[in-house]
Amino acid sequence: MKKIIELKNISKAFDGETVLDNISLDIYDNEFVTLLGPSGCGKTTTLRLIGGFEYPDEGDVVFMGERINDTPPHKRNVNTVFQKYALFPHLNVFENVAFPLHERKLPKAEIKEKVDQMLSLVMLSGFAQRSVTSLSGGQQQRVAIARALINHPKVLLLDEPLGALDLKLRKDMQQELKKIQKSTGITFIFVTHDQEEAMSMSDTVVVMSEGKIQQIGTPQDIYNEPVNAFVADFIGESNIVDGVMLEDKKVKFAGHIFDCLDTGFEKNEAVDVVIRPEDVDIVPEDKGMLCGTVTSVTFMGVHYEIIVDIKGFKWMIQTTDGVEVDAKIGIYLEPDAIHIMKKSKYSGMFGDYSSFSNELDELSNPGGEDEE
Amino acid sequence: MRKKHSGRLAITQYSVWSFLFVVVPLIFIAYYAFTDNNFSFTTENITRFFTATSNLTEDDGTVREVRTYILIFMRSLKLAAISTAISLLLGYPIAYIMARASEKAQKTMMTLVMIPMWMNFLIRTYAWMTILQDTGIINGIIGKLGIGPLHMIGTETAVVIGMVYDYFPYMILPLYSIMAKMDTRLFEAARDLGCNSFGVLRRVIFPLSLPGVISGVTMVLIPSISTFYISQKLGNGKFFLIGDAIEGQYVANNLHFAAAIAFILMVILLVCMALVKYFTAKHVYGGE
Amino acid sequence: MKTASKIYTAIIFVFLFAPIAVLLVFSFNEGKSLSVFTGFSLKWYRELLRDTDTLQALKNTIILAFSATAISTVMGTAAAVGINRLRSRWYKAAMNTVTNIPMTNPDIITGISLMLMFVFVGRLFGASTSLNFWTMLIAHVTFCLPYVILQVLPKLQQMDKSLPEAAMDLGCTPLKAFLKVELPEIMPGIVTGAIMAFTLSLDDFVISYFTAGNGFTTLPIRIYGMTKKTVTPKMYALATIIFFVTLTLLLLNNVVDNDGVKKEKKETGKVKRVAMIVLAVIIALIGSVGIFAGRKETVTLNVYNWGEYISDGSEGTFDTIREFEKWYEETYGVKMVVNYDTYTSNEDMYNKISSGAVSYDVIIPSDYMIARMADEGMLEELDFDNIPNYSNIDENFRGLYYDKDNRYSVPYAYGIIGIIYNANVVDETDTGGWDLMWNEKYSGDILQFNNSRDTFGTAMYKLGLDVNSTDKEVWETARAELLTQRPLCYGQVMDEIFNLMESGEASIGAYYAGDYFTMADNQAGDVDLQFYYPERTNFYIDAMCIPKGSQNKELAEIFINYMLSEEPAIANAEYTYYASPNRIVYENETYLEDMGEDVIEVLYPEIENFSELYNTYAYRNLDTDMLDYINTLWETVKIN
Repeated sequence: MKKIIELKNISKAFDGETVLDNISLDIYDNEFVTLLGPSGCGKTTTLRLIGGFEYPDEGDVVFMGERINDTPPHKRNVNTVFQKYALFPHLNVFENVAFPLHERKLPKAEIKEKVDQMLSLVMLSGFAQRSVTSLSGGQQQRVAIARALINHPKVLLLDEPLGALDLKLRKDMQQELKKIQKSTGITFIFVTHDQEEAMSMSDTVVVMSEGKIQQIGTPQDIYNEPVNAFVADFIGESNIVDGVMLEDKKVKFAGHIFDCLDTGFEKNEAVDVVIRPEDVDIVPEDKGMLCGTVTSVTFMGVHYEIIVDIKGFKWMIQTTDGVEVDAKIGIYLEPDAIHIMKKSKYSGMFGDYSSFSNELDELSNPGGEDEE
Repeated sequence: MRKKHSGRLAITQYSVWSFLFVVVPLIFIAYYAFTDNNFSFTTENITRFFTATSNLTEDDGTVREVRTYILIFMRSLKLAAISTAISLLLGYPIAYIMARASEKAQKTMMTLVMIPMWMNFLIRTYAWMTILQDTGIINGIIGKLGIGPLHMIGTETAVVIGMVYDYFPYMILPLYSIMAKMDTRLFEAARDLGCNSFGVLRRVIFPLSLPGVISGVTMVLIPSISTFYISQKLGNGKFFLIGDAIEGQYVANNLHFAAAIAFILMVILLVCMALVKYFTAKHVYGGE
Repeated sequence: MKTASKIYTAIIFVFLFAPIAVLLVFSFNEGKSLSVFTGFSLKWYRELLRDTDTLQALKNTIILAFSATAISTVMGTAAAVGINRLRSRWYKAAMNTVTNIPMTNPDIITGISLMLMFVFVGRLFGASTSLNFWTMLIAHVTFCLPYVILQVLPKLQQMDKSLPEAAMDLGCTPLKAFLKVELPEIMPGIVTGAIMAFTLSLDDFVISYFTAGNGFTTLPIRIYGMTKKTVTPKMYALATIIFFVTLTLLLLNNVVDNDGVKKEKKETGKVKRVAMIVLAVIIALIGSVGIFAGRKETVTLNVYNWGEYISDGSEGTFDTIREFEKWYEETYGVKMVVNYDTYTSNEDMYNKISSGAVSYDVIIPSDYMIARMADEGMLEELDFDNIPNYSNIDENFRGLYYDKDNRYSVPYAYGIIGIIYNANVVDETDTGGWDLMWNEKYSGDILQFNNSRDTFGTAMYKLGLDVNSTDKEVWETARAELLTQRPLCYGQVMDEIFNLMESGEASIGAYYAGDYFTMADNQAGDVDLQFYYPERTNFYIDAMCIPKGSQNKELAEIFINYMLSEEPAIANAEYTYYASPNRIVYENETYLEDMGEDVIEVLYPEIENFSELYNTYAYRNLDTDMLDYINTLWETVKIN
């Protein structure tokens, strides 16, 4: 695969506050890349660097082998779908989509043809003469996409484009975006703070936090092999427990020694152990590797989410078996349910459900609505 | 339903006030315009405005007959239009710079634009006489450089400078307030879609600022078309404008003809404004 | 780009502040001129503090601006709330249109229309005066209202509609919900609107000019009233003080602002602070003015005079009005206050009085206007028993055409128009007659009057025509003569002639003899102003009269008598530089000494058959049709 964009050791600060700290990232042709992270992690700034709206303090932005640090946006073969769309309120749908074509001074007939084609791609054929302010959120979204695609850019940048849509519409648009990306073959760089969205759409996910890239990988890699407690917690639910690697494939945590699949650690190295809630099996108390007391049970539809107090550490377990509060249960872990991570600065910050509630979780991970 | 009640009171007091002190006075203008000294109906004042003629000596000495008040009106319109255009050209960039400055700088600049208005208009105009006259400050400076003297007082230039200066804040205020409200992401979007800086200005900023341009133009054009003080002081009384004509008729105790000129001026301006509104409402976002 | 915009910003602000810098510098001028800087002095600031009338005008201006701001802010905010809640589309459209009218109507039209209405209503109710503080306030509120509404309305539209509902849900009454939730939200708009209203009210001249009434002179009216004489650097000093007070308060505000208050708190805090500062400015200004200008009202005498036409205590002169008040109280044991207003022309005064807009006890019109007003029954017959000093009036000034039987008027001052020229530019040999004003050698250096009678007068005296002719042919001839002069003229001016002649900007102009000396006193180093009377020229007399409707005729007569007594009569003659018909004055040794022989020679030329010459050359009242004809004819001169 061909590298289309390379970010090389980029740093950026606003008013002395570091926003991007020496990040490097390669993006390939025809790839759907998602920049994922909480608000303030630097994902939007990264996007704006590629779009040309910001210039790096240090490092280089390379586009198809050419350094474009100082190239202004209108000279980059990159287009953006803006957060909240940034449609021109003084122009109607047709004029918005035709905007870049007018700038290129194409003949009228050609413009009309291209715009009509693009509007049918985003399923807005009958809306050409409508005022953009009269459109619904989803329709505005489509206009924004059509407008950004009409120049056939090499790369399309999408800055939280689905943030303002309701859940149902968001799901539909996710599918559609993916479809458009496939059919046009354009590289999409998508910014979101919604991990589910990232998982379901991307070829590659780039997890960012505090101006640094934490992990780059396929959605499966990121989910199954998070590199640190931040990634593990940010992507899906995780119980993260302090452990000690006794030797290869032997880890001790919660007072018990488990078999696992991980190798390559020092003897007796302190590690973070990640166990996904759905990988825990519930067994009768006497058959369990660990025992605990159920402190809460929440019915989630397809499964129950239960919190179990095991020696003072609260675990989250997802199970289809009904259990009662205050029941004593045992748990059983297969070796492949256990994932070992090196200690990082995020160790101990995540993965304990002692004060868990869905709402609190949302609050501690606020949606990056107006992220700089 | 107390809320409704108080809401009605809020609008009623304003409706009554506006009727008494905005609408009724205009009816009085019309009433005076269409009556003679004995308050009996006549259209003579109106016809006089359109038909009164006099001989005008051209620069080359030829004499031709002109319609006095039409000529005066056209001259006023010309000077006002020049002043308005200059105000717009000068004011547009500064309003843009202000709107993009830091919050603190915006506040400071806004205050600086307003401060001159706290010295009364008459005093400011007087100060311009000191600056512009043959023995004034500008000629003092360029005289030292061996240029000049430039004769400015009594020329169109001086009258235009006076108009631009006195009404400049009225141009900046609406432009600034509309530009400060503009969503900067629209500019980014335009750049992203292939516009250079000029393209952004032409295709996004300008069309979006049109309502501000219109109110700025209105607020400069109207006082400059009807001023009578600036032309007297900076034009040395050489420029006889429609405002001078109204004031002159008022001073000559010819209230009915003064009202007629005012009435005609008002009708012309209202029609122009309505036309401008009509044609821009189609184009401009955010209209009622 | 960045530096370019910085340079541009700098240029614009230099443009905006250049005149401010000029008036700042000239406020420290030692001389009286606004164009020739002769040396540094604080004289005009001292003058300003002594000038109770100007300070009173300043106080009035601020009171008016403050009241108009307060009322229009409250009403405008309420109106915006009301408009915002309107459901009916046409009602909303109607309100928007009405709001736009005062903004899109030229202020001359707003001013005239309000004046016409006030005068009409005043007549309807038989009020002695229809224009006063309240009408002016109404006018100011009317043109300020739209600006407040247009600032507040968008804030209301932006506001989350559920905010007041949430407040009511939480137990607020609708009023409380408005005060506690909506008001803070729209406060920035209200404050901006209030500041704009205040600024506009301070800056307004035209609307005030048309709606100004009795006893409430504002600054712009006072400045405009100085048109007959000259605007002194005193006004620049006043503007400079206003400038520095404003600037200091704004700087203070900025310093307080930068104290690093947390951002969220700052928003609401800032609004409050701005409001406080605005309030502080107003209180400080009113307070400081009040100290100098505060007085209590009791018996009042309303005097209406030309601007700068009375000795007013400036530069250490006799303060006629204050002295009269003092003298009256001492003599009669009653406190009495004079309301002293000024006008710019006879016609201006005539309009205001004849329309019933204002009412005065003493006026000082010129001869032809006295004739007109007497004809129209607008003047009271004087009771000369109350004016014993009338005996001092020279015989030559009695029984003249405008008041043959000496019933209505007591002469105050008289003058003769002559030609002033700069001897450094004009050849002595070219002088002597009206021809000088038509001499092509001095093209571009000649000043003409800026009123119809005087302009035609120059041509008619030159041609030996009758200035009071009712033959239109005669006037046409004069018009033709004026047209030949048009290309030679520097301009048509009234009070501007002072600056123009003093600085050498123009070299020839006709004006009143007394004013020539004022100019000569202030002339620049390279200017040498001289003066002569041409063969035929205008004589005029201004005389004190009592208009019908005077509330206190006897007091008015006492005032007229006082004006004829030694001290005020001499002081006024010295102050105005015009000749006095009062024997006490022109026979007074000190006066003659103070004025100097040269001045006396010019001011009081020996004229044998004074009354005959006067009756021939003075302007007489013409009928309205003739006046309209002359005015229209003059317009046709002016457009050339």
